Amino acid sequence: MIDGSAPMIRLGIRAASPFAVIVGCYLLFAGHNNPGGGFAAGLVFGAVLALRTIAGFHRPTYGIALVAAGVFVVAGVALMPLLWGDPLFDQQVLSVEVPLLGEIKTGSALPFDIGVAAIVVGTVIAALDGLGAAEFAADPPADSDRGEPG
Amino acid sequence: MIFGLLVLHVAVCVVLACAGRRLGRSSLLVGAVPPACSALWGASRLGADPPATADVTWVSGLDLAMTFRVDAFAGIMTLIVSGIGVLVFVYAFGYFGPGAAHTGRFATTLLAFSTSMLGLVWADSVWTLFVFWELTSVTSFLLVGHKSTDAQVLAAARRALMVTAGGGLVLLAGLLLVTGAAGTTLISELAPVDGTAATVGAVLVMIAAATKSAQVPFHPWLPGAMVAPTPVSAYLHAATMVKAGVVLVAVSGPALSGIGAWKGCGLAFGVASIVWGALGALRHRDAKLILAWGTVSQLGMLITLFSVGTPMAVLAAVSLLVAHALFKGALFLIVGEIDVRAGTRHIDELGGLARSMPVAFAAAVLAGLSMAGAPPLFGFVAKETAIQAALGLDGPEAWLVGFGVIGGSVLTVAYTFRFLIAVFGPGPETPLSPRRHALSVPPAVLAVAGIAAFAVLGRIDAVLEPAAVRLSGGAAVEHLHRWPGLEPALAISAVVLVIGAIVGLAMGRRPGQAPADYAGRWTDASIDGTVAFGRATVARVQHGSLPVYLVTMAAVATMAAIPFLADISLDHLVAWHTPLQGVLAAAVVGAAVALCFVGTRLGAGLALGAAGITVAAVFVIHGAPDLALTQLLVEAAIVVGFVLAFGHLSRSFPMTGLRWRAVRITVAGLGGVAVVIGLGAASGNPVAAPPLAELAAASVDEGGGSNIVNVILTDIRGLDTLGEVLVLATVALGVQALARGLASTESSASGSSAS
Repeated sequence: MIDGSAPMIRLGIRAASPFAVIVGCYLLFAGHNNPGGGFAAGLVFGAVLALRTIAGFHRPTYGIALVAAGVFVVAGVALMPLLWGDPLFDQQVLSVEVPLLGEIKTGSALPFDIGVAAIVVGTVIAALDGLGAAEFAADPPADSDRGEPG
Repeated sequence: MIFGLLVLHVAVCVVLACAGRRLGRSSLLVGAVPPACSALWGASRLGADPPATADVTWVSGLDLAMTFRVDAFAGIMTLIVSGIGVLVFVYAFGYFGPGAAHTGRFATTLLAFSTSMLGLVWADSVWTLFVFWELTSVTSFLLVGHKSTDAQVLAAARRALMVTAGGGLVLLAGLLLVTGAAGTTLISELAPVDGTAATVGAVLVMIAAATKSAQVPFHPWLPGAMVAPTPVSAYLHAATMVKAGVVLVAVSGPALSGIGAWKGCGLAFGVASIVWGALGALRHRDAKLILAWGTVSQLGMLITLFSVGTPMAVLAAVSLLVAHALFKGALFLIVGEIDVRAGTRHIDELGGLARSMPVAFAAAVLAGLSMAGAPPLFGFVAKETAIQAALGLDGPEAWLVGFGVIGGSVLTVAYTFRFLIAVFGPGPETPLSPRRHALSVPPAVLAVAGIAAFAVLGRIDAVLEPAAVRLSGGAAVEHLHRWPGLEPALAISAVVLVIGAIVGLAMGRRPGQAPADYAGRWTDASIDGTVAFGRATVARVQHGSLPVYLVTMAAVATMAAIPFLADISLDHLVAWHTPLQGVLAAAVVGAAVALCFVGTRLGAGLALGAAGITVAAVFVIHGAPDLALTQLLVEAAIVVGFVLAFGHLSRSFPMTGLRWRAVRITVAGLGGVAVVIGLGAASGNPVAAPPLAELAAASVDEGGGSNIVNVILTDIRGLDTLGEVLVLATVALGVQALARGLASTESSASGSSAS
């Protein structure tokens, strides 16, 4: 078993994860105009979660719930334009003037990307769960179904 | 109106499905309402011109549409399906009696069947017809298996489903071939076709019709299905569903009757069924089975006449179709009444019913004489026309059809008389439960309809004649005659009646044993054999070794690339754009080769990562930062996955045989070759220049973003992305399910070892 509890590893992961989350958010929001996007952002978030799981900060849970939520968002973005008679996936662009920052342009691609990211993160969590990552948790669950020792 | 009626049927079906339990037996009366509406509409449409049509297009490019067309023939079928439907619903109300279980479910399924059958006879698009054809198979399965606690019932239901649904698959193949040859999917537009594909398709269509209409050798499901409640037998297995095959042969007749193999097949099925079905009806001792075997014989007669396809034969077939629905429906309902009131339908246990059930006896005599083809009943007209049609043919066909029609008529008269004497003849009086009007009225209505149709034959003819014209491709059709005059056909008819009556009377009270059901056992054995074969194949193919699955998949994918070998052109091939690409390619190849020979898992993981990251560098050189970013992140995720997985595995690969390793390296190498072939073929044949400028403009204008890749993913090809993330979500579910399954087997294994 990999020893994820070494102090240097734990410290490194704890220090790096906020920055990685910021990078992920940047990729998510910048994706429409610069390299990035929902899939890449989801992978970054997933990697952060995986590292934190190995270090024992986190237990992989709610993966499927996240996947389900992502599917709802993605399907919603796809189907919503049908409600007002536009074709499937018709892009709605929204432009907002924000003080100090200037004009910010966004659109229905953003929720779509967020949904994709959620599905990717959920899949990573499900895979972590499937690979037995729960055993890395600092406080392992009581093995109630293992029977009496010996 | 067509859609309105269908929606009404479906809506009442839904209501019954929800409230059937609370409504109980009265749900059968509610269920009678939609068929009553359809029957009234069908009656108002009889002989109306032009035909009523309705359609909704689903996928216009694929000719997928729900298309309905109620012409003269469909109008008659509507009246049969819905009119008898109403009577059967009322009859079922009496049949089940107060307090019977699952009547709500029965009413729902019966109405669902009635809807499917209407859709089938109204369909004009062959695909609409196919869908409703399959629906009748499924609802019939549910109705036959209504008493779902009895193993014999379930076996019969399975047999019926397997034969008719198997026939449905054959029908699909046949329709594809025929519509491909004809260039249309509308039945009303089918023109005569020929050619090999059309011939094969036509034979397949005929085989499908034979399965549905219980023709020899597919017949055993029909007698087996007699375990169903009698309303089902009367409705599905006499009046309507078994006619689906006949309807199919009838409506495709104008297009296919020019094909010799189609006609030959139809005559073979038909004549064999006429004879074998009638012999079965003469030998069986269960009143319901006698009728079922008689139905096989009558259906054979219908298939024979429609296959012949001359205007006279078609007119005879349409008349017999109507007559059969009336008399056989009535006889089934009478047997059901006897079954309910006497508690048995075995002819050895019945006696004195002519006196104790006078109404049923009178109805049975009327219906039976119509079945035997005696005047003054509608069955007589139908049989006379059939004999005239047979006499009007020449060549070998005339002998075969003449033998089938005349021999079949003799046997029909014989089993009719045997049935009447055996069921209603003298004997020790059978004790009866009290009379129920809902049971005795519907068969009487049907039986009287047989004599009424003879009385107003002119009006009936005015309805049947346009249908026969339509089904014989527009040829002129003779009229039906109440009295044909002194002709050969009449003489033959008289002789048939006399000989048949003598045989029937002689056999009526003869004791004996019911024949063994060899054909039924053979059918069940072949169904079991198919299932066993499927299990054995799955056990062999899905044996559970992941490495073998992977190598098999890779090998198959490699073979798929071979056909593209010819498409490779070397015109566009350059060694590299910058020398750096060559260096990177060498690094990728080196990493891949190293991967094949590394002994430890960690080493293999590193080699794989090296290859992946080098590929990302190639993407960067080509100016695809999105791709490179994603590739790098995926590599990172894979490394994390390896780290986790290695915790459960040994450090080194297990020592597997050298030969197996050689196989895997070979398949991997060939996989690489396949990718090269695919890329070479794809890049060697540019269909058009990539619409980069348009994409860039569209990306900013419509997508509102300047990253073309992302706009393509989220907007231009958003549907693809949706599909991809749904695949991803499915994978997540699969991983979760596998992990759960693994955890539970581990815990149960450890639990059993601990105990």
